[in-house]
Amino acid sequence: MTVQVALFIALAAVAIVAAIGLLRAKNAVYAALCLVSNFGVVAVLYILLGAPFLAMVQITVYAGAIMVLFVFVIMLLGAEHLEHEDHLLLQGPLGWLLGLGLAGLVTFAAISANLSAPAELPAEVSANFGSPGSIGHLLLTEYVFPFEVISFLLLAAMVGAVVLTLVQREKKARRSLRNPQQS
Amino acid sequence: MTDFQTIDLLAILPEIALTALGVLVLVLDVTWRGKIRQQLGVVTAVGLFAIAALTAVFTYPAESQLLYGGMMRHDLLAFVMRLIFLVAAGFTALLSVDVDNLGRRGEYYAVLIAAVIGMNLMAASADLIMLYLALETTSISAYILAGFLFNEERSAEAGMKYFLFGAVTSTVMLFGFSLLFGFAGTTNLYQIGTTIQANSLAITVIAVLVLVGVGFKLAVFPFHFWSPDVYEGAPTPVTAFISTASKAAGFAVLLRVFLIAFDGTNLQSASNWLPLLTSIAVVTTSLGNLVALTQKNIKRLLAYSSIAHAGYALMAFTAIQSAPVQAEAVAAVVYYLVTYVLTNLTAFGVIILVAKNVGSDDVAAFAGLNKRSAGLSLAMLVAFLSLGGIPPLAGFVGKFFIFMALVKANLLWLAIVLAVNSLIALYYYLLVLNVVYNRPVAEGATEIQVSAPYRVALTALCVGVVVFGVIIAPFYDPITRIFDLVK
Amino acid sequence: MIPTSYFIILSAILFTLGAIGVLVRRNAIVIFMAIELMLNAANLAFVAFARQFGAENGQVLVFFVMTVAAAEVAIGLALIVAIFRNKQSINIDDLHELKG
Repeated sequence: MTVQVALFIALAAVAIVAAIGLLRAKNAVYAALCLVSNFGVVAVLYILLGAPFLAMVQITVYAGAIMVLFVFVIMLLGAEHLEHEDHLLLQGPLGWLLGLGLAGLVTFAAISANLSAPAELPAEVSANFGSPGSIGHLLLTEYVFPFEVISFLLLAAMVGAVVLTLVQREKKARRSLRNPQQS
Repeated sequence: MTDFQTIDLLAILPEIALTALGVLVLVLDVTWRGKIRQQLGVVTAVGLFAIAALTAVFTYPAESQLLYGGMMRHDLLAFVMRLIFLVAAGFTALLSVDVDNLGRRGEYYAVLIAAVIGMNLMAASADLIMLYLALETTSISAYILAGFLFNEERSAEAGMKYFLFGAVTSTVMLFGFSLLFGFAGTTNLYQIGTTIQANSLAITVIAVLVLVGVGFKLAVFPFHFWSPDVYEGAPTPVTAFISTASKAAGFAVLLRVFLIAFDGTNLQSASNWLPLLTSIAVVTTSLGNLVALTQKNIKRLLAYSSIAHAGYALMAFTAIQSAPVQAEAVAAVVYYLVTYVLTNLTAFGVIILVAKNVGSDDVAAFAGLNKRSAGLSLAMLVAFLSLGGIPPLAGFVGKFFIFMALVKANLLWLAIVLAVNSLIALYYYLLVLNVVYNRPVAEGATEIQVSAPYRVALTALCVGVVVFGVIIAPFYDPITRIFDLVK
Repeated sequence: MIPTSYFIILSAILFTLGAIGVLVRRNAIVIFMAIELMLNAANLAFVAFARQFGAENGQVLVFFVMTVAAAEVAIGLALIVAIFRNKQSINIDDLHELKG
């Protein structure tokens, strides 16, 4: 067993433990922490797979921005304690059973997809495979159209997020005009 | 990538125009104050119809080709589907004008336009990357629309349910995409199609994973659970839009992904997933119709009926298993979608007006509609008879083509399932019409006022339903070529 | 070198754990986190296959997926906040306004 494989197994173990932690956490903040550690480990795996740019994005966007948003909402709602979970008797076991079936299917498909692929790891990729420069070049040449579309998607999501808060503010403003002492 | 050419621009002309229209609506939303805001919906609708005309005149694909480095495919399927989405969105905008808290909000129309752009790209995308982006653009816009009246519990809940189901199913589909990429080593649908092997269990599993995402858009069994709740809770114009355009977009993806990436034109590779699609179609249709029999709420009734309609179209698609019928099968799917979209929009248009007047979505609210508004009850008659498949309306022709495709493909048992289901469906459609025409008017009910945008929209839709039921050849003949041109 | 299949199996395991999370948990935020876990697993498979084929387009796809995920999270959390304001609960068993 090479050092790399040993490293992979250690990282995989952490990722799986973190995922199980997410499933079992009784506190939403713990769940978020488990998810962050999972994302962090996956970022390291990205580096092993020759994707340094994605590893960076994974840390800043996923583990950073997205998880901060999650924790922010949990704190905003004061919803960190998870009450009356699992009160459906059958749901727990049934979910795990379904999950295991899915695991079998997915693993099978994954492995056979892998077997049909030409070879194990290709011996050589250029030194800047997956580097920011190389990905950026692709984004602005071959993938320039999806790149434009994603900017549009973000705009639509932004409008949506604004809409879902705007009315609330107007209403509150009107209410505070009526009872100034309350605001 | 080669140099930029006119065709590159032409192929995305509708999307460019839609973006401009979206920005225009947002600017008008900021500048217009007072009564004139009522015209926001009209401006959107006129814009959408104008873009549809522009698309029809200028972007007819002379030859099928891959554009933008294989991201998009400019062909007849994308062309026809774009027209369906644009027209459906135009009518949805017209039917939204008088709806409280919705009709005068520029953001609503802007998000609606964003959803149309997503659908257009869904129909045209020829690459897993583009397909995923387009699907998510449509879905995210649709979640916003469903939850738009978030101060009402029902709408917020509809948005939440739609979101959770949509996010899970699209993630499962993405995992299917990743395995497909692992299988083929490319993200281009057309290149993937050449690497697919016949009778491989792995392909079947991948097809199931992809079908989860597509099935959510189509609302077919067993991915239909969200649809009755979302249809009931979402604002009614949004329900009309989700149940028509969004479903048609799902079919556009189904056609391209399963015909091209899963190589459906080749019977050997199609045998990996065709039995699955056939059983889904049968269960979906029967389940939708049987549950619809028991519904008291008209939006839920139409939700289950639209589940059944998706099943009919899926049945038509399974007729591709007979090589000479393939072109007809695809044409039957598309023609059925056109008739279904027009008919369902008509039905929802009437529901919007009645619900606004009575304040209830129950079937009972339609009692004696013919005494309160002759025009509305006539529109209801046209819509429900067409849904039930009565000649000479569009729904009949749509069902007829499916029936013929099934018979020609030697799928007699499926044709019988279709016929029996149509009878069951006709029964509950007639029950609703019975309420409309034979029940006494409730105490204190007044005549229902139909404002100009609604009158225009409903008249145009009814005319459309009749035209597509009477003048068939000019519409049907071109779409029989979709199958040959998509390859 | 680490064989690609190791990464694919890990990705399948993580994906399944995420799916189980969606099925067994009742809290909307936790379900949402489980969905993110599934997305992450799919991304891992993409990157692993991209390395195997030496094809950077798999990595570009992951970049797009991450961007979409960010947009999706913004909308999803906005809806969760809207539900919470209405109901003071984000347990999905409490979403029973719509039933028939």
